[in-house]
Amino acid sequence: MSDPGTDPGTEPSDAVEGGEAAATTHEPEESLRSMLRGALREEEPPPNVLAGVQKRIRERSKGKFYADGWSTAKHPPLNTYLVTSLLMLAILVISYALLSPLVGSPVPVRNQPVPVQLIPR
Amino acid sequence: MADRRDVAAHPVYLADGVADAEEQSERKFIERLAQRDERAFNELVELYEARVFRLLLRMLGRRDEAEDMAQEVFVQIFKAVGTFRGDSKLSTWIYRVSVNLCKNRMKYLARRHSEGEDELEPVAERAALDEAKGVTFGDVAQPDRMVEGYQIERVVQQCIAELDPDFREVLILRDLEDLSYEELSEITGLADGTVKSRLHRARSMLKANVERKMGEKIR
Repeated sequence: MSDPGTDPGTEPSDAVEGGEAAATTHEPEESLRSMLRGALREEEPPPNVLAGVQKRIRERSKGKFYADGWSTAKHPPLNTYLVTSLLMLAILVISYALLSPLVGSPVPVRNQPVPVQLIPR
Repeated sequence: MADRRDVAAHPVYLADGVADAEEQSERKFIERLAQRDERAFNELVELYEARVFRLLLRMLGRRDEAEDMAQEVFVQIFKAVGTFRGDSKLSTWIYRVSVNLCKNRMKYLARRHSEGEDELEPVAERAALDEAKGVTFGDVAQPDRMVEGYQIERVVQQCIAELDPDFREVLILRDLEDLSYEELSEITGLADGTVKSRLHRARSMLKANVERKMGEKIR
C-alpha cells in the first residue's frame, strides 16, 4: 500500500513553478480573508465519523480490528463492567447460600489402636 | 538536569519542559497507534474529526462528500500510521493525508462531472461587494440583507470551487485553517517560496474572479 502521507502524488512539476518562487508574497488581504471566512463558515456542527470509520476498518480487515462491541465503544463501558462484576458476585453468594446446607458436617471417626499380636517364633 | 530553583529563575526551562512532555506524550501516542491500539485510534479520530471534516468540506464544498471522505481519511491513517516516521507533527501528517486524498477525489469527481453547481442570480440583483465583509447569510437579521449575504456567499463559494485544486489547497490551509508556511510546505511537499507565490496567485485569482462576477472591486 502506498503511503498517502508521504506521497505528494498529484503535484505538478515544481520546475514549472520554479519562477514563481521569486514572486513577492504580500501579507494576506484582510478583506479577502474575511470574505472567505464568511462564505465558508460552517453552519452545522461536524458529524461524528467514528462509527463509520470503525465499520469500514472492520469490514476491510475482515473482522481483525473492531470485531466486538467493546472495542467499538467510544469510551470504556464502566457501567457494564460494574454491573457484570456485581452480578457475578451475587451469583456466587446465592450459589454458596444454596449449596452450603447440603454439604452437612463431617462424620466423627473414633480411632482405636489396633491390638498388637505377637507372633511366636 | 536543572533543579527547582534554576527552573524558577529561568522560565524558558519550564516552556522547554512542557514542550518535551508534549513531544513525549505524542510519541507514546504514536507508538500505541502503530501497535494498532483500537482505543488510541478512537482517541485520534475524536481529536481530529472536526478539523479534518472542516478542511474537506471547504475543499470539496459538499457535506456528504466531505463526511464520506473524512471516514476514508481515517481508514487510510489507520493503515499507514505504522509508516509515520515522526518527521513532522502528527497533525501536519494528518492534514497531508487529507489533502492528498481530497485532491484525488476532486479529480475523480471532476471526471464524473458530478460537481453540483447552481446557477447564480442575475448580476443586477446582486448585492454590493462591501456587504461581504462580516455580513453573511447566517449573521443578518433583515430579510433583504439576508438575501444579499446569501448571494455573496454563493459567489465566493463558486469562485473557490473554480480555483485549481493546487491553489485552493494553499488558500484554505493558510487563510482558513491558519497554518504556518512551514506546515504548508510539509503538507504540500513544495518549497517555501513556491508555497508563498502559489498562495499569492491563488488570492489574486480568487479576488479577480469574485470582482468579475460581482462587477465591482474588493476594497
